[in-house]
Amino acid sequence: MLSAKSAARAVRRSAAAAVVLTAAPALFAAERAKPIASYEITCALDTEKKTVSGSEKITWSNATNQVARTLELHLYLNAFRNTLSTFWREGRGIGREGRPLPESWAWVEIARMTYMDGTDLLPALTYIAPDDGNRDDRTVAEVVLPRPVLPGETATLTLDFTSHLPRVARRTGYKGDFYLVAQWFPKLGVLEEKGWNCHQFHANSEFFSDFGNYDVSIALPPRYRGKVGATGRQTEERTDSEGRILYRFREDGVHDFAWTADPGYLVKEDFFREAGLHDVAIRLLLQPEHSGQAERYLKAAKTAISGFGRVLGPYPYDTLTIVDPPWGARAAGGMEYPTLITGGTSWSAPRGIQSPEGVTIHEFGHQFFYGLLASNEFEEPWLDEGFTSYMTARVLGAAYGPNHTAVPVFGLKFVLGIDKQHPLDDARRYFTVATEDYGAAPSWKFKDRTVYGAMSYSKTTLTLATLERLIGTSTLDRALRLYADRWSFRHPKTKDFIAAVNDVTGRDWTWFFQRTFFSSGAVDYAVEEAVSKPAQAPRGLFDKDGRLVPEPPAELAKPTGFDSVVTVVRKGDVAMPVDIELRFEGTKPYRAQWDGEARWTRFSVAGGPRLTEAIVDPDEKILLDFDRTNNGRRTEADPRAATRWTSRSVFWVQNLIDFFTVVW
Amino acid sequence: MKRVSALSCFWKGFALSLSKPYLAAALWLLQLLLASVIILPVSNSLHDMLDRSPVADRVVANPDYGWWETVKQTHPDLLGNFPDLAEGLLTPEGVKSTAIGDAKGVGAAAISLCLFALVLHAFALGGVLGTLREPSGSLVVFGREGMRRLPAFLLFTLAAFAAAVASYRWVYLDSGEALKATVENLDTERRALAVTGLRLLALLAVFATIKLLVDSVRAVWVARPDLPPISRFFTGVGGFLVRFPRLFGILAISMLLTAGLYVLWLVLDPSAGGEARFALVPLILSQQVFVFIRCLIKVGYYAGISEALTRTISPEYSYAPALAGATRESESPSAPGEDATPPEPAAG
Repeated sequence: MLSAKSAARAVRRSAAAAVVLTAAPALFAAERAKPIASYEITCALDTEKKTVSGSEKITWSNATNQVARTLELHLYLNAFRNTLSTFWREGRGIGREGRPLPESWAWVEIARMTYMDGTDLLPALTYIAPDDGNRDDRTVAEVVLPRPVLPGETATLTLDFTSHLPRVARRTGYKGDFYLVAQWFPKLGVLEEKGWNCHQFHANSEFFSDFGNYDVSIALPPRYRGKVGATGRQTEERTDSEGRILYRFREDGVHDFAWTADPGYLVKEDFFREAGLHDVAIRLLLQPEHSGQAERYLKAAKTAISGFGRVLGPYPYDTLTIVDPPWGARAAGGMEYPTLITGGTSWSAPRGIQSPEGVTIHEFGHQFFYGLLASNEFEEPWLDEGFTSYMTARVLGAAYGPNHTAVPVFGLKFVLGIDKQHPLDDARRYFTVATEDYGAAPSWKFKDRTVYGAMSYSKTTLTLATLERLIGTSTLDRALRLYADRWSFRHPKTKDFIAAVNDVTGRDWTWFFQRTFFSSGAVDYAVEEAVSKPAQAPRGLFDKDGRLVPEPPAELAKPTGFDSVVTVVRKGDVAMPVDIELRFEGTKPYRAQWDGEARWTRFSVAGGPRLTEAIVDPDEKILLDFDRTNNGRRTEADPRAATRWTSRSVFWVQNLIDFFTVVW
Repeated sequence: MKRVSALSCFWKGFALSLSKPYLAAALWLLQLLLASVIILPVSNSLHDMLDRSPVADRVVANPDYGWWETVKQTHPDLLGNFPDLAEGLLTPEGVKSTAIGDAKGVGAAAISLCLFALVLHAFALGGVLGTLREPSGSLVVFGREGMRRLPAFLLFTLAAFAAAVASYRWVYLDSGEALKATVENLDTERRALAVTGLRLLALLAVFATIKLLVDSVRAVWVARPDLPPISRFFTGVGGFLVRFPRLFGILAISMLLTAGLYVLWLVLDPSAGGEARFALVPLILSQQVFVFIRCLIKVGYYAGISEALTRTISPEYSYAPALAGATRESESPSAPGEDATPPEPAAG
């Protein structure tokens, strides 16, 4: 949490920020991170055993001021080793899509680990569980080094490993001949000043790594020729001495490496070019039964490169690979790795529904919020998922308009003509659990998967959309750009984004984030009362010539106009400044701003024009508002809508009853 | 005798339905009475939520996603899991009966109404089939015939209901569970959809069989009161077995017509577009006319089934005495060219 003091300091840096903003675009495309953890991997896919075996050379630099006496490694595949792993225990055996995980066990074996001085490190390898102490979890290993690595020094170790892949589960694995090989090799954690940051593989978490250069060679059976995609640029394709096809991929300034292969892929290539942005070669690896959707995928990718790039700066890599997983490998879809994303679509995919567009744009967005702005996805999942979701809604809305509801009918989808507006309708799941947890929590500490998703994706989307409406789109864009310029190829935290907002606006917005990201409260404003009655002459006794008389003074005896009263209440725990608009017959509306801090406020107008309705938040700025249906109230009831819907309801219940009795 | 086609049977049945519109009216009235149970809670809730809300302007014509989602979220007891239940019925996974345990509010009331509809359905079919065989009927006759056969028809209805529920579980749910891994391992989604389609077809075939069997028994039950109950039952089963293709044809025609009616309704959608298309009263009238036409088709189906199974007039009625030398319709192709017209009742 950012203190008010540090926020104030951040505000004072706004002048410097403006300078950075003007210089940033040129730097952004050209500058890459200084490599901290680089990998050279040579491996081979065994399609019979479903394994990837190889050797790996890790070159690691100690970029901290601390002496490193150990190394910590992620062995993510061990999450699938048995049901005792933290991943299985937390997820209770349920996968990302809410279905039971296949009991297809997977693990990674390290056969050799040698330090640069020739020391065998395997005897010094132990499994640790820094998050939950689960002794059965083997997703993090610690190695005691034969001699410490001093600040600024570089260490090298080599190892031989075999990764046994699962039937596609949680982003990685195989299905038939299809492979998505992700989180598959022994990989270093991140050394911070306070020590190693190397979290276990959780049911609801993603990744966190240091930037480096990757050089990976993969040997596969010859039937995979031309049907392989991976992080980075393909630099070599040849047949090796064993008749296998060998591919080599390289990329600098990334923090992970994933690859895919499927002899069934249809390969479509395209190119993105737009003034002011970086050229990108796009490669789409498509399932044949989705061949009709190639253009939709490619258009979405270009829309995303442009849409995100215009706000955050150019996507700096030369390539983008899009993977379309096959039927039955849904768990491989909707995932992001550096320069490689996985989409997902259905055979019917009607055009009225923004799929595969939505998932393509979202996963591309992660090239910024995860790829370049490499926040800690374990600890602050909203910084990647939430920010990406918010930007996805903007890009989708601008390019495609509203989404539509669909009704699933035995596996097919049929579009209903009902609009779903971006970003509000994308994020409604937040409202179902709005007060069940804090917006900001480590990913594995949310109450459950639903709450994790609602808070990380949806609440953040609505928070940023609300902020956008409060400070203006262009101002928020400048804040996002400043954040991207400051933190690309680094590891930003929430306070860094808040600082960017404060710097750009010149105001301290800490209160806003404390009430949203760091709160479990909900926002809900309502117009509780809106009445307007013809003004009436006062009754009782009145002074006249020193006496009390029952008639009011002449100027009050025949009142004109209406007496109106409006009461607005704050039903939610979280206060936000809101506009209140009173609409009158025949005159301009009256608008007032309420700081929203008290539980209620009241407006009274005596002898004015007739009040027709009162609206709180008339411009719909506060998208976090839990219940928008109570944001307005008319002074006169209009029963038409309710009556029409009652007749509809009765009609469809009549049909339901008839349908129910059709068989028996 | 000439073989009578399913179309001919249905058409004659539909003509009979048109000639006795009070039967469709009786069905319509029963459905309206059942549905009206929820009018008050639905109406009160909607008026409470919409009458003074500016949102009403948006939803008067068309559904509004945001409003609907907010209502579900802020009034969880209004519908409970009913929308999910309804949607679940249209999924490859289907819905287990235990899901009814989470029903609440209007959703739970709608489910209860459906269960109550079982009883009224049994009553109505007794009334429809009994009145169809009367030369001149009325709503009074409908009521009398319905009550007269209620015990037997309720038994048939409950047995058919139980058979349908069991077949939904065994044919659809269990096959889905058993084929789950196989379907996931298929090459393409199209094949998976085909498997779902086959499961659905199998279920529909079983449902059609149950329906035709029970409707055959009902039709014969009404047509042959001269037989002891056990004989009536087996005569009905026999009729179902012998005339299955024709009965199935009648059912298919009836279902196609009903489906066509729904397609027409969804395309025209008088409910959409708000007052620009239909004012409230014409809207309600159009809705009820739709339900009435659907009931006409339904009565036509039952008359068609009755037509296909037996054409003799029951001897039980005083004004339709036992037939002298009446012959039952023959399936034999040995008498070509002779239409299966009902024999003239003998004087009596």
